[in-house]
Amino acid sequence: MVPDDSAPAAIAAAAVPNPAATEALAADPPPITPVPAQARAPAPPIDPRTQLRLRGETDHLVLLMPNGSEAEAGALAWGELLQQFKQRLNGGERCWQPHTVVHLAARDRLLDARQLQSLEELLSAAQLTLKRVITSRRQTAIAAVTAGYSVDQLAAEDTLVQSPPPPGQPLAEPLYLQTTVRSGTEIRHPGTIIVLGDANPGSSLVSEGDILVWGRLRGTAHAGSGGDRSRCIMALQMHPTQLRLADLVARAPDGPTSQYLPEVAYVGDNAIRIAQAQAFARQNFDATLGQGAQLTDAFKV
Amino acid sequence: MTRIIVMTSGKGGVGKSTCTANLGMALAQRNQRVAVVDADFGLRNLDLLLGLENRIVYTALDVLAGDCSVEKALVKDKRQPTLGLLAAAQNRNKEAITPEQMKELVAGLAPSHDFILIDCPAGIEMGFQNAIAPAKEAIVVTTPEISAVRDADRVIGLLEANDVKFTKLLINRIKPKMVQEDQMMSVRDVLDILAVPLLGVVPDDERVIVASNRGEPLVLDKQLSLAGVAFNNIARRLVGEEVPLIDLNATHDDLFSRLRRFFRG
Repeated sequence: MVPDDSAPAAIAAAAVPNPAATEALAADPPPITPVPAQARAPAPPIDPRTQLRLRGETDHLVLLMPNGSEAEAGALAWGELLQQFKQRLNGGERCWQPHTVVHLAARDRLLDARQLQSLEELLSAAQLTLKRVITSRRQTAIAAVTAGYSVDQLAAEDTLVQSPPPPGQPLAEPLYLQTTVRSGTEIRHPGTIIVLGDANPGSSLVSEGDILVWGRLRGTAHAGSGGDRSRCIMALQMHPTQLRLADLVARAPDGPTSQYLPEVAYVGDNAIRIAQAQAFARQNFDATLGQGAQLTDAFKV
Repeated sequence: MTRIIVMTSGKGGVGKSTCTANLGMALAQRNQRVAVVDADFGLRNLDLLLGLENRIVYTALDVLAGDCSVEKALVKDKRQPTLGLLAAAQNRNKEAITPEQMKELVAGLAPSHDFILIDCPAGIEMGFQNAIAPAKEAIVVTTPEISAVRDADRVIGLLEANDVKFTKLLINRIKPKMVQEDQMMSVRDVLDILAVPLLGVVPDDERVIVASNRGEPLVLDKQLSLAGVAFNNIARRLVGEEVPLIDLNATHDDLFSRLRRFFRG
């Protein structure tokens, strides 16, 4: 992840070193002192800003909790976590049928009866039914059983995707939101974000994939937050506070613009560039045709 | 069915309390039974705007402590007996009360009133959470300034996330002349960003200050000012009448300004 605070130094579209890459390098040399096997392969660092999200399975949804407990440094307080999730739920009503069953993957997070109940209330307000709780914590399991859910208790070891993700891991499925993303709302998603509506000033969209705003983009958008520079940001009206692509930052030009054409921001020559959507498509067409590559590669959508 | 409306804005000083006082009074003049609840614990001033400060005997905290009934704590306005004020305590802070207690207070008032207007404190902390807890509807007050609009946007997001479903917008202190000269955000600019239904527009008026200092809401004036008319119209819209927006430009749309606009393109 590129830390958000890297912005001030890099305002004029300058490159900042990608911490993810440096970390990988640093991990390579063998440790000097012999350490137990488990300590040598630490769990991947948890981004404290991870949000609750739903993942679709064949016949149910899985609600993924961020790992770790509330007490861990930097982790969001429960109330804030719920509020963020609620904003996502409100914007995603068209993505599932009513009364879809939800399994809660609580991982090693400690949840008490009250927290479970507040989750259940949230979900049922969105016409989803919480049925099963999957946890590796005994206390959470007890709370869930008492509340009448079926429970899968996993061994406390790294059974749930704890090992560092393999390099070629696919992105999460796209997040589709039909809402106005308002000031103060932050949407983080490990995949592409699609917003049907405006992203207002003061909002922020952070995606490991692409960002597509079918409306006005006036807040901050960060695509390819995992370091992928081939990602792009698309908007019907591009008036962002700030654009970030992988490790690059760009600021919108000052002063009002008169044109309201769909635009695409992408990385070219180590800087963020913006092209009109039509020109962008044509440009990629021509370039790829010249190289004799597959047309579909150009769009990365 | 009692309508429980919270008046909120995020930013301070945009005129929440003034709007609450005027709308409360205007609704009462239309024979609605209105209770205005000051949720600004520690910094109350709705009583000042209504000129009821020296008649407060019990506050909301006394009701919660069980010292008196909620009806008894309600300060009846002598000009409009259908208007009552539930005052906040001045000697405590926002943590003196919880959202549940706020709901309890409002539930006590609901059966005997048509409208309950809750005057929310500025900010989005505890006081805000308390004020919106019992509300079913919200009126977001903003001025046509970029900071106020930004905060209003944030507050609308929070209201949506807290199950206050019906949010309407009140744009306060607009200066038609400045809008015409392109020096101030227009109603359209504000609506463009916030995208919520517009309840009304109140023009900037110096008489608001005079009225506040005297403790007599504008809508009580014999000769209504433009702002007073605007508040009356908003009250009428709240009770379900269809009232067109006042044409604020009319007074400024003289030959001179037309010529100037013509030459500026």
